[in-house]
Amino acid sequence: MDVGAMGREAQKYVWEGAIPLQIHLHESEVTTLPHPSPALVLAPRMGYLPLLLPLLKPHFSSTLPPGVDTIWFEYKGLPLKWHIPTGVLFDLLCAEQERPWNLTVHFRGYPGNILTPCEGEDSVKWSFINSLKEAAYIVNGNCKNVMNMSQSDQVELWYSVLNGNMEAYQRVSSKLKLEKVGDQYVGKPNSNLLKSRTNTGETDTGGPVKTDKCFTLRDAVKALLPEFFVEKTLIDEEISRIELEEESRAPSDDESNTRNEEDVEEKQRENVECCCPSDDAVTKLKLVRIQGIEPKLEIPFSWVVNNLMNPEHFLHICVCVKVPQAKPSPHDT
Amino acid sequence: MASDSPSSARKVVVHLRATGDAPILKQAKFKIPGTDKFAKVIEFLRRQLHRDTLFVYVNSAFSPNPDELVIDLYNNFGFDGKLVVNYACSMAWG
Repeated sequence: MDVGAMGREAQKYVWEGAIPLQIHLHESEVTTLPHPSPALVLAPRMGYLPLLLPLLKPHFSSTLPPGVDTIWFEYKGLPLKWHIPTGVLFDLLCAEQERPWNLTVHFRGYPGNILTPCEGEDSVKWSFINSLKEAAYIVNGNCKNVMNMSQSDQVELWYSVLNGNMEAYQRVSSKLKLEKVGDQYVGKPNSNLLKSRTNTGETDTGGPVKTDKCFTLRDAVKALLPEFFVEKTLIDEEISRIELEEESRAPSDDESNTRNEEDVEEKQRENVECCCPSDDAVTKLKLVRIQGIEPKLEIPFSWVVNNLMNPEHFLHICVCVKVPQAKPSPHDT
Repeated sequence: MASDSPSSARKVVVHLRATGDAPILKQAKFKIPGTDKFAKVIEFLRRQLHRDTLFVYVNSAFSPNPDELVIDLYNNFGFDGKLVVNYACSMAWG
């Protein structure tokens, strides 16, 4: 099978990927006996949880208290950010890949102090389009291609995401001319994952010599999380976890771009409280998960981006790191 | 002041620019902690302009997710030492 065909097959798997959910209505919203059974739903990886409302409402409507529906989800007490794709939430929060994934749904009492407001499909669509514009801005320096989309193309694009229709999506998104990432090599001065030097006035004159070594997934993760690749003295450690989410967009393959700019957007959210690692401890990358798989870190990054990115043109990399806990001092009681 | 602060307190200069018929603020430049979410900027604008419906953009291009950290937005989209945030009362950029 040639490389192109393998890539297309990978994209198909990703688009067809889904998370089996077992959704329980929160106790406080159950007004009838017996308790309703949980809803069993196959949620597309590339989709968003609020879009499940049409499936869930009929299942629970007879037991809900009176009021206006403002759907939101939680996992083990953590309210889930609705603008993050379902697959990413699962990869991030469920290190052990629980199947089915047990979530709790609420139709009332939206936690406005924790979650940004969501008024149904329109909010999700707005968030999606803006993420796409953000990606376009990073790749092209402007988002004219998205803004100039015809109304019917925009509708078709959104519906292709809503329905998980890869062919329709690719038909419309190809009009955006968001270039596929070309192969990149370590040492090229326009590697777009390096921090901007313009603020300090330095230029990247001492760039590494260009080699034939392909820019791999490992290189990308290392550029984004250099602190997890430093080997220090090994000490006895117990494992505690920080789960970080990173989003990095597809780097531009524009050869004439000689600016060194940090175009990668880094978002780190700690979902678990953890003490700071001591200086002479080892912090290691435990796993890197993309679209539910743990790709070999040797894979060329361009392949990962082109085939595993989400429809809004962001590549979501979920990282699990091993951090040593501080050892109690001899004087602790 | 900026050089003495620990990195966690590093502030970002935000330049607020009116678009279309949106009212122009008397004071358009602010410093905000980098660790604040973009939602804080949106809230601030809503309070200052006494309007609930506001469209807020970065670099006249896109609306960042309110959850994004201001420092991340500045690092990726800022220039000339500031983050340019445009606001409008109706949808300005599709």
